Amino acid sequence: MGNYILRRIGQTLIVLVCVSLVAFFLIRLAPGSPAVLLLGDGATDEQIAAKEAELGLDKPLYVQYFRYIAGVFRGDLGMSTQYRMPVSDLIANRLPNTLRLAFFTVLLGLALCIPLGIVAGSHRGTAIDFFAMFFALLGQSMATIWIAVLNVYVFSVVLGWLPAVGTGTWAHYVLPVVTLGYPLAAETTRIGRSGMIDTLNEDFITATHAKGIRPSVVHWKYAFKNAVCPVITLVGMRLGAFLAGAIVVESIYSWPGIGQLLKTSVGNRDYQLVQSLLLLSAFLFALVNLLVDIINSLIDPRIVLE
Amino acid sequence: MEQLLEIKDLRVQFKTERATSNALNGVTLSIGKGESLGLVGETGAGKTTTALSILRLLPDAARILDGSITFDGQNVFDMTGAGNDLSSRQYKKLLEKQGISETEMRKIRGNKIAMIFQNPLTALNPVFTVGEQIAMVLRVHRGMGKREAMEYAGKLLEQVGIASYRVKDYPGQFSGGMRQRVGIAAGIACNPELLIADEPTTALDVTIQAQILELMKQLQTQHKTSLLMITHNLGIISELCQKVAVMYGGQIIEYGTVDAVFRDPLHPYTRGLLGALPNLEGDRERLVAIPGKIADPQNLPNGCYFNPRCEHKCAVCESKQPEMIKISDDHFVACFQAKGGV
Amino acid sequence: MNRKIIAQRMRKNPFFIVGTITCTVIIVCLFVIPYFIPFDAQANSLTEMFGKPDWFSKGFEGHIFGTDQMGRDILARLLLGGKISLAIAFVVVFIQVVVGTVLGLIAGYFGGIVDSIIMRTCDVVLSIPNLVLALAIMAVLGTSVVNLVAVLSFSGWVQFCKLTRNNVKVASNMEYVHASQALGSGSARVMFRQIFPNVTTHIIILASQRIGWVILLESSLSFLSLGIPAPTPSWGNMIANGREYLTLYPWIALVPGVALMFVVLGFNFLGDGLRDVLDPKRTS
Repeated sequence: MGNYILRRIGQTLIVLVCVSLVAFFLIRLAPGSPAVLLLGDGATDEQIAAKEAELGLDKPLYVQYFRYIAGVFRGDLGMSTQYRMPVSDLIANRLPNTLRLAFFTVLLGLALCIPLGIVAGSHRGTAIDFFAMFFALLGQSMATIWIAVLNVYVFSVVLGWLPAVGTGTWAHYVLPVVTLGYPLAAETTRIGRSGMIDTLNEDFITATHAKGIRPSVVHWKYAFKNAVCPVITLVGMRLGAFLAGAIVVESIYSWPGIGQLLKTSVGNRDYQLVQSLLLLSAFLFALVNLLVDIINSLIDPRIVLE
Repeated sequence: MEQLLEIKDLRVQFKTERATSNALNGVTLSIGKGESLGLVGETGAGKTTTALSILRLLPDAARILDGSITFDGQNVFDMTGAGNDLSSRQYKKLLEKQGISETEMRKIRGNKIAMIFQNPLTALNPVFTVGEQIAMVLRVHRGMGKREAMEYAGKLLEQVGIASYRVKDYPGQFSGGMRQRVGIAAGIACNPELLIADEPTTALDVTIQAQILELMKQLQTQHKTSLLMITHNLGIISELCQKVAVMYGGQIIEYGTVDAVFRDPLHPYTRGLLGALPNLEGDRERLVAIPGKIADPQNLPNGCYFNPRCEHKCAVCESKQPEMIKISDDHFVACFQAKGGV
Repeated sequence: MNRKIIAQRMRKNPFFIVGTITCTVIIVCLFVIPYFIPFDAQANSLTEMFGKPDWFSKGFEGHIFGTDQMGRDILARLLLGGKISLAIAFVVVFIQVVVGTVLGLIAGYFGGIVDSIIMRTCDVVLSIPNLVLALAIMAVLGTSVVNLVAVLSFSGWVQFCKLTRNNVKVASNMEYVHASQALGSGSARVMFRQIFPNVTTHIIILASQRIGWVILLESSLSFLSLGIPAPTPSWGNMIANGREYLTLYPWIALVPGVALMFVVLGFNFLGDGLRDVLDPKRTS
């Protein structure tokens, strides 16, 4: 177990180093010097040269990279050209908002998957199964942008029940969470259903029935545990990639999180910020996946053994 | 001898999207108390279907068309004359009506009738410890608490030759033979009256097979359990059983004491099975293989199901099904050629 | 596999049937309807701004789905945008399949260090969310259709690579492959003659399911104005554009939204149906 986790951490670190390299060099491909962006168009050549020296941009690329990495470990992610404040402060301000959104989204995804997916899987061909499949297929076919726009139109414009933008009250959470959570719930429902169907076809389930265990117990206690592993893996992957959905949803609902920050930083060519956000998103992804692997290895001992 | 289990004229059909398969075509069998019966036949002869019928655990695709099963005086089901023209809802209703309630049935499963499965690698749930999987039988039938059941599971493991501290290990940490021992431990947990062993050694190495068989033999004599041993290995039958039933095409074609059947096999199929077995003692004879393919349950021949492969067939074999005829008190055979010898 | 069985399963599979019909109808509409409507997708008309949908009251002469804030006919834009989106999706999936499969074959067949390098590269690409990566690259490269295709292809080849590689790993341990090698077949020959056919079914299934996914990703990028550059229409930038007028002129956003939903639903049905038809062992 300990070995397994250490090995996973090792792999994760390698991936993170690679991502930092990709992010660093990708940003260096961008046209225009950060110094110019910081100083504005009116800057003289001398000013630009001075600024570049200050930022260390006159050094060779590998030196710049190691400086950047050293900075990351000190918590110094550089200056945002657009906000003219440290990137780390910006992230610290925005991250909690995105995490709150992520928490409720995952909660919604899991809350719907269990009654729908698992029940559908153990009652194949019934009305609830058809409903679950319909729910899932529709959810997977709706673009986040479309769900968001539709939600705003129906619940804010037509019905006037919920606020379309901003933060503050609980009501502000509803539309962003539903927008992000519906596609997730669709996927978890689907995976939960197929996991349940696959499990119920296993010999060991027949063996459990042959022991005289109540079918409801066989399903909800014994088969459930097998079926839930892929659901957790999926939720982990989607949580790791949460930022993708957050970009769209946060910009539509004016939610002051990391996604909106990334959107505006890309729009304003705030490369220092883009670079750090790429790294942050990979870090979150790796962290979530590590957690998922640990949770799964606790549920399913085979993962460690393989 | 007092009968424990009686199966009468059982017919079971499987329906899938593409085909209908007649798995059982009139199986009649009985097992006495403390008796052990071997059920032999090739893959697809309907052995596992018979076993699952006894537990009333046939998959959804299966339909019982006819026949009845009684166990220890209790009516597992009596579907005599049910036929195959019922809708699936009607069928389910009828099945519920025609036997003891599902609650009663659950009290039998794992408690009075226990089953050991063919493949120990798939018959244990990989995400529960072996202790939990043995303990669940005890908790549901013996009303034991969690801790008590786990302790008892440890004792059962010791009985099958596994150290008791391993109750907390997962199936993945055991070898195939060890897992089959776990399966046996769960099977004998409630001291069942009937133990159904569905090819318990097929998936195991030969050396392990012998150990498992030895263990089963020992447990069976110790607990006076009746045994239904399903196998295609005749050696196992002669080792473990008093009686043998040979299955072909979802029917019993020869039945009797192991002694009588093996000494004087009357059905050409049985003779073929015995002839296909190398003989270590006596003269070296040529092994005789049975020509042709096993009867296809989706497309059974007319008349005797064995006729396309039979060397001794005559006109009647192709048009009529042979009845079971009595040769002696402990030997029955379903073959037109059997009476008076071939 | 037996063609007759596949044809039989196709006829019986509701997903496959609905998916095929939906996709066919949509593609036919995209290419046929433009000949009937007298409007240009790019032509502004200041006298016809925010026109309500006429539906079919004026036949093809009217603005069936209304007009946008520049007086452009929404149906015309929808059809042009749809053609572009679909074309991009097909090209992108094709590139993903080719790149992913070739790398997967190489990784799976040669194993060792080659395998490790390719698989770690996959991990790196996977560890940045698709849209985030696409956004960052588009921001650096600038928006153009070529860049868009490159970015979309880049973020999706990994699944094909992993799928192929894992299949090759399993297949190369099969006895017939050893047998083929024992008979003296060269490695390239073994790979393409023996192993590759086993992987194709899985690739076809994944590719068909991937089309909807690419359409969704492209529409998101276009929505964020990092996809197909305006004024060329795409369903994503049409929704983004219409969002500003949602209160008074909701059709500008709702029409492309509904269209997007149907197209993706159609391709998802087709993909799922195809999987059931080709690989009935899987249940979901």
